Amino acid sequence: MWRLTRRAVLAASLAGLLAAAGQAGAAPAIGEYAPNFQAIDAAGRIRLLSEFPGKAVVLEWTNNGCPYVQKHYRSGNMQALQARAAADGVVWLTIISSAPGTQGYLPPADALAWKQKAYAGATDLLLDPEGRVGRAYGAKTTPHMFVIDKAGKLAYMGGLDDQPHADPASLKGARNYVAAALDDLKAGRPVATPVSRPYGCSIKYAR
Amino acid sequence: MMRFQAALILAAAIVGPACAQPVKTGHLTAELVSDKASIAPGETIHVALRQDIQKGWHTYWRNPGDSGEATQIKWTLPSGWTAGPFVWPTPHRQPTGPLVNYGYTGEVLLPMALTAPATARPGQTVTLSAAAGFLVCAEICVPEDAALTLSLPVKAAAVPAGGKWAGPIAQALAAAPRPAALAAVFKTGPVAHALAVTGGPLKGADLAEAYFYPYDSTVIDHARPQAIERGPEGLTLTLALAPGYAARPGGPAKALEGVLALGDKAYEIAASPGTPPPGASGLGPPPAKVAGGGTSLGLISAALFAFLGGLILNLMPCVFPVLAMKAASLAGHGEDHGEARRQGLAFGVGALATFLALAGLLIGLQAAGSAIGWGFQLQSPAVVAVLALLMLAVALNLSGVFEVGSSLQGVGSGLAARQGLAGAFFTGALAVVVAAPCTAPFMGPALGWALTQPPVAALAVFAALGLGFAAPFMLVTFAPGLLARLPRPGPWMDGFRKALAFPMYAAAAWLVWVLAQQAGPPALAKLLAAAVVVGLAAWLAGAAQRRAAAGGRPLALRSASVLLAALAIGAVVWPQGAATELESEPYSPARLAELRAEGRPVFVNYTAAWCVSCQVNDKVAISTHATAAAFKRHDVAYLKADWTRRDPQIAAELARYGRAGVPLYLVYGARGGDGVILPSILTEGIVVKAVDAAAGG
Repeated sequence: MWRLTRRAVLAASLAGLLAAAGQAGAAPAIGEYAPNFQAIDAAGRIRLLSEFPGKAVVLEWTNNGCPYVQKHYRSGNMQALQARAAADGVVWLTIISSAPGTQGYLPPADALAWKQKAYAGATDLLLDPEGRVGRAYGAKTTPHMFVIDKAGKLAYMGGLDDQPHADPASLKGARNYVAAALDDLKAGRPVATPVSRPYGCSIKYAR
Repeated sequence: MMRFQAALILAAAIVGPACAQPVKTGHLTAELVSDKASIAPGETIHVALRQDIQKGWHTYWRNPGDSGEATQIKWTLPSGWTAGPFVWPTPHRQPTGPLVNYGYTGEVLLPMALTAPATARPGQTVTLSAAAGFLVCAEICVPEDAALTLSLPVKAAAVPAGGKWAGPIAQALAAAPRPAALAAVFKTGPVAHALAVTGGPLKGADLAEAYFYPYDSTVIDHARPQAIERGPEGLTLTLALAPGYAARPGGPAKALEGVLALGDKAYEIAASPGTPPPGASGLGPPPAKVAGGGTSLGLISAALFAFLGGLILNLMPCVFPVLAMKAASLAGHGEDHGEARRQGLAFGVGALATFLALAGLLIGLQAAGSAIGWGFQLQSPAVVAVLALLMLAVALNLSGVFEVGSSLQGVGSGLAARQGLAGAFFTGALAVVVAAPCTAPFMGPALGWALTQPPVAALAVFAALGLGFAAPFMLVTFAPGLLARLPRPGPWMDGFRKALAFPMYAAAAWLVWVLAQQAGPPALAKLLAAAVVVGLAAWLAGAAQRRAAAGGRPLALRSASVLLAALAIGAVVWPQGAATELESEPYSPARLAELRAEGRPVFVNYTAAWCVSCQVNDKVAISTHATAAAFKRHDVAYLKADWTRRDPQIAAELARYGRAGVPLYLVYGARGGDGVILPSILTEGIVVKAVDAAAGG
């Protein structure tokens, strides 16, 4: 009797827990310090955001199976932006928050292979299979972009551009918000568009 | 995402009814359908983009929510022909992990108006082409395109709507959200918009499922639940701001436009900034229809839990003595199985009838609009006081101060002490009355579920509870073998009986303490005085009985005893002014919202002085060093929702989590989200762990 009753109580609490787990973490605010994080990269090293003091940092959430990500990688759009950022001394961290068994999840070896094959120019590729970094930033989609200024404050969050479509044709004439934000930071101007709607596939978070 | 196919406009010579070819795109089948078989020059008809979506997959509304993309259509029409925008049906929420999207599953029709030019030539059949683009998602998303055509004959005269799709299109148009006589204003705070909507269509409407779907995807946080506050004229929804709202390009929203859905009805609203009118709030959140915490018990499992709970109730300290003595006395009928059986039946009927009467009263009061839950009978100080005196009288009887009748047969007091079948019936009733407060921890989910169901289902659950409660005793009376195994009555029973008096004293003491919490020191003093008088009355009654046994006629003693008992009960039942009660951090939805806005984890303790398990939990798991340290470590705010006295707001909160009574423990994380429900039986470890998790996000 006890066991059954306790099971009912447990079931009810579990349902509550699940409901709570269904919430994305609150996104950090523009102009405030970006939350520090720790993640393992594809080579097995521990990386921290705080490793890059005095440098602007771009965070890019990715999922190689997502059509919206493919639009930017197959066209070379994302790699071009990464190369530009690298030339300006900007750190670029690509993050995979897909849980094991879901679309976009890559074991470290496959992640390295993907980075190479895609000619991705990111500083590093971070694996976040538990979704801790993603939830801390309130990352919702792939791609979802965050730009952190040299002081460590969040300068931009949202989509890569203003074309929330998977069709490669939509790249033409698209307004690239991340490029614009990096330009603004480089010129010492306030970022003209600090927030936009992130678009793409939902991040396949661990339940 | 659309790959616009070069579409050709074909003017075929064959005159036939409107026809289209469904296209399978991978995870859905798409086609263009029309509500008329033909179109007349200058006429406007309705066509629809029909999607038959594979099970488990969905497509999106005009605002897709946190991710995804709206379904699109691009027409290639002959010159002069025009097609209007989609009339979007009310979407559904599609939660995926921590995100919420807005979209459709199954079969969905997106109607549009289609107008032929006045110059269209009757006798012709036009083929209208459209490129439709869908983002179809389950766990993963696939963009799918369909090149669709619709052949439509042009006829000189308009025909009435007809054909296979006339009905579904008309239905989709009728069900689509439309403007109504509603006034909407919104006020943006630091963490949320308050959207107030008032007007005729909301008066008296069922608002339990109210939800606002914004057209703009950058104004609210789609994943946050929308708190509903009812008012006499409408409602107020609390809509968490979209991430980065403060830095939103173009500044704060100048209007909140979208769809207000109320279950089966939906209205298009456009709110402008302003101060919410008073009629849009003040009545609290709507009572939840379904258990909010996901407790989706079926009738059968609810009845099963209720039955098990009823069994467990037999072991409660306030119930066990009554039943143990009754069972022991039955052993005296060991030779007379028929009598034992009748007694058992009478007891069962008494228990069942009392449970059903309490449930009926509860359902009736709820129907009349009272926000009450199980255990309500202990929220009245007068009832608590009378029960305390009753427990004391039973205890004194067990202690041997006075006898009821001349044997141990009728244990209990007052009505329950009557001999024979009536005695057994009232023993059952008495046992239920004293057992009711102990039910909460065991039957919280089952009774919570029952009270949100139609009365028949609710009564069935309470009946199962009564049956479970009566089962052990009835089993004993119906199984001659068991009855024979009960120890024979004898001198040992006197000691047994006196020992059993102490749980009853304890129950009386507990009720006295409950009353002290409810009604304060003056009422406590009155009850204690009444208790002394009851003690005196019991002693006088005992003296009268002894004198009677010695052959005397103790009329004076007997009347004095009855008079004193009546006096004691009368004194405690007499209404009195309620005393105030001080609490450091009492719960209120506003205070909770405030603390959560500060980003602090919050622990809410729904408790009541009359709830034994609440007090036990408080002692062993909440008011402890480790818990206090954990609260301090994470800067946890501790709110107490005290339900010792009736409180509609708390009752509504409990209902929202599928509970009909206390205890309920909720932990809200620092990063927002729904409260986590802790088990009803707490340990220090559970609380500390939950608080750690809440702080960690």
